[in-house]
Amino acid sequence: MAEVVHAPAKTDGIDLDYVRTLMAHFEPEDWQEGQELILSALQEINEHFGYVSVEAAEIVAERLGTTINRIYGLLTFYADFRTQPRGKHFMLMCHGMSCYVMGSQKLVQEMADKYGISDGGTTAGGELTIQVVNGCLGACNQSPVVKLDDDYHGRLTTESFNELVQRVIAETAQEQ
Amino acid sequence: MAQPTSDLPRLTSQKAFDEFRARAIEKWEAIWNGKKTVVSIGIGSSSIPVGALDVMAAFERIADKENLHVRKTGVDGADWTDVQVRVKRPGEPAVVYANVVPSDAKGIIDGKHRGKIIGVEGDQPFDGIQPLDTHPFYKYQQRIVLQDVGVIDPDSIEEAIARGAYMGLYRALFELTPEEVIAEVTTANVRGRGGAGFPAGIKWESGRKARVTPKFVTCNSHEGEPNVYKDRRIHEGDPHRVLEGILIACVAVGAERGYNYVGGEYPLAIQRFRKAVDDATALGLVGRDMLGSGKNVAFRLRTGGGAYVCGEGSAMMYSIMGVRGQPRTKPPRSVEEGLWKRPTVANNTETLSNMRDIVVKGGEWYAQFGTEKSKGTKLMTVQGPMKTMGLVEVPMGINFKTLIDEVWGGMRDGYTFKGIQTGGVSAGPLRYEQLDVPVDFDSLTPLGGMLGSGGFVVFDETVCAVDFARYLTAFNRVESCSKCVPCARGNPALVETVDRIRFGRGSQRDLPLLERTSKHVIELSLCGLGQVAPMPLLGMMQQYPEEFQAHIDGVCPCGVCPVSAEATVEALAAD
Ligand SMILES: Cc1cc2nc3c(=O)[nH]c(=O)nc-3n(C[C@H](O)[C@H](O)[C@H](O)COP(=O)(O)O)c2cc1C
Ligand code: SF4
Ligand code: FES
Repeated sequence: MAEVVHAPAKTDGIDLDYVRTLMAHFEPEDWQEGQELILSALQEINEHFGYVSVEAAEIVAERLGTTINRIYGLLTFYADFRTQPRGKHFMLMCHGMSCYVMGSQKLVQEMADKYGISDGGTTAGGELTIQVVNGCLGACNQSPVVKLDDDYHGRLTTESFNELVQRVIAETAQEQ
Repeated sequence: MAQPTSDLPRLTSQKAFDEFRARAIEKWEAIWNGKKTVVSIGIGSSSIPVGALDVMAAFERIADKENLHVRKTGVDGADWTDVQVRVKRPGEPAVVYANVVPSDAKGIIDGKHRGKIIGVEGDQPFDGIQPLDTHPFYKYQQRIVLQDVGVIDPDSIEEAIARGAYMGLYRALFELTPEEVIAEVTTANVRGRGGAGFPAGIKWESGRKARVTPKFVTCNSHEGEPNVYKDRRIHEGDPHRVLEGILIACVAVGAERGYNYVGGEYPLAIQRFRKAVDDATALGLVGRDMLGSGKNVAFRLRTGGGAYVCGEGSAMMYSIMGVRGQPRTKPPRSVEEGLWKRPTVANNTETLSNMRDIVVKGGEWYAQFGTEKSKGTKLMTVQGPMKTMGLVEVPMGINFKTLIDEVWGGMRDGYTFKGIQTGGVSAGPLRYEQLDVPVDFDSLTPLGGMLGSGGFVVFDETVCAVDFARYLTAFNRVESCSKCVPCARGNPALVETVDRIRFGRGSQRDLPLLERTSKHVIELSLCGLGQVAPMPLLGMMQQYPEEFQAHIDGVCPCGVCPVSAEATVEALAAD
């Protein structure tokens, strides 16, 4: 379902002390609840840092009484997890049915043709990571929609989409 | 991030709740009968993208000067009106404005922007404005689940209680026996809203009778389908209704703990629901000795990770247990062996959201809505180029054409209707001529369609049937959990064959091949995902055979498919 992980991911950008503090808040009553909390813990780390590194996963495994293998089984099954750092910006591209019938396929194609990336990919300069969402972002009246960091952009055409992507890439490159 | 309301008292008796409720009603009335103009702004996942928070800020900036009470509500379902603002001046009914932008704020208060008015609350015209309920989008609605969505502030447990929240739980705790609660649900004959339509009363009855303990209740709010957005809207607009439904189910079946499993993609739904749980726990509605009744129900919220298959009942339970969400063979059914191998009643969010009214007003009352075999109302959403699109709650059995042409206002200018995909990724499309049918659990199936969870997708002439079929099949291919071979290998084979046709390399033999492969996948797959995965493709082939033929002859009539392009590996991988 998701990418296969061959080599351990690096831990750049993940403050392991923060992960430890976070994990201290997970206080399962019993073994069962500990198991139930594994996904929640990984979700929090993924959300905060944009991905889950091996070291972070090890901390979770130790705290909740499981193994790193089991955790990688989860990370590769659930589509929302990433095991590699994100680019500077992150874009969810809605590919739900509303967005599909209103043209999101063209935008996904555009990313592949012009920027050489598909679902989960990051632009060569590390400016932008995209995730193609198979569900619906809930803003169908604005289809096709993308969510760039915290902002939504709707009723996109190939032109306005390209403008958006190029602006992000240019601005990020300038900052760096 | 919302904080739980800190000054909530812990209510330890029936009387304490009665008093709290009386005060909440007083406060609610005071808002509406005060000297300030009340400005209510619909804030939710559909309106935030078009600037709802900025509109709210704009009204807040002028609130002191203009003597306004500015408040947020959920989005009432009318996505086409986002950002929707309701302005209620003292002594007048609330006037409803659509598509408000921040710069309108002052003008609206000054009585300008009348062009943006779509109606007035109540059943009487006011100042030359027609009642909102005469607007086609609202006219056919019968709001039970959505009655407070767009009315209350979803972050306020007091407003919810003033409007009747937890009265169903109250009855289940103090006035009815669990058997009587289940009897009402059985009389209501409410069928599961998650897609399969299984009667909730029968499920609860089996749950009640199960002798192994502890028992659990899980609410399925995963909603990973790409074609529907109803369950998250209930969470965003009226989270207490969902929680109350879960608690009623727990009390009725004798479960010690309730769960809600929400799709991880819906941050606002999760945020508002979490606050609802915190507030209800503070009040003593959840946990030990609920309202002093001696009954205990614990509660846990769990979130999904973006795998559609986790909506399947057994997969959802595995996901809650912290493993991969892969369905298992049945029997045993979940009510015998579910979460942690204990009896578990699993219901959809919408199913459970009906419970408050069923318990308070009775099963007979509920059964007056809908048709003989499909009782009650149904939330339905539409996607695609419709004029007045959004979420509605209509009685079961509404005519499909009425829904499309009136409720959702027909096609936007410049678009021509081609078909409507029903049942999401699990059934086929219908053509316009077929739409003179009632929409309920049973009427669409003979036509090759399905009610499913009530998410319909209208597509226009620019959408190619072959490409759409590919999209739908590819969805199931990607979302297959790969546990069983017919689904894990069959769906990729279907996609490959459709791709051959899309790239203009198809032959006459491919159509029967698709049918044969589909038959294997349908008959041999383990779970509901695989068993229906080929249905959209078969439906498209049945409804638009001429388009499949055209591709085989070398043209894509819509100009979408790369019929003459080189079929490279990269091109095939881009989906
Ligand atoms: C692949 C698949 C996905 C499903 N997704 C959902 C879902 O997102 N939400 C839901 O309530 N039911 C979903 N279901 C149906 C559930 O298995 C189950 O029938 C339902 O939650 C029972 O609740 P109900 O009786 O109240 O409808 C799905 C089923 C399958 C096979
Ligand atoms: S039918 Fe598909 S989704 Fe269901 S168990 Fe088999 S492989 Fe998994
Ligand atoms: S399908 Fe894209 S926002 Fe709903």
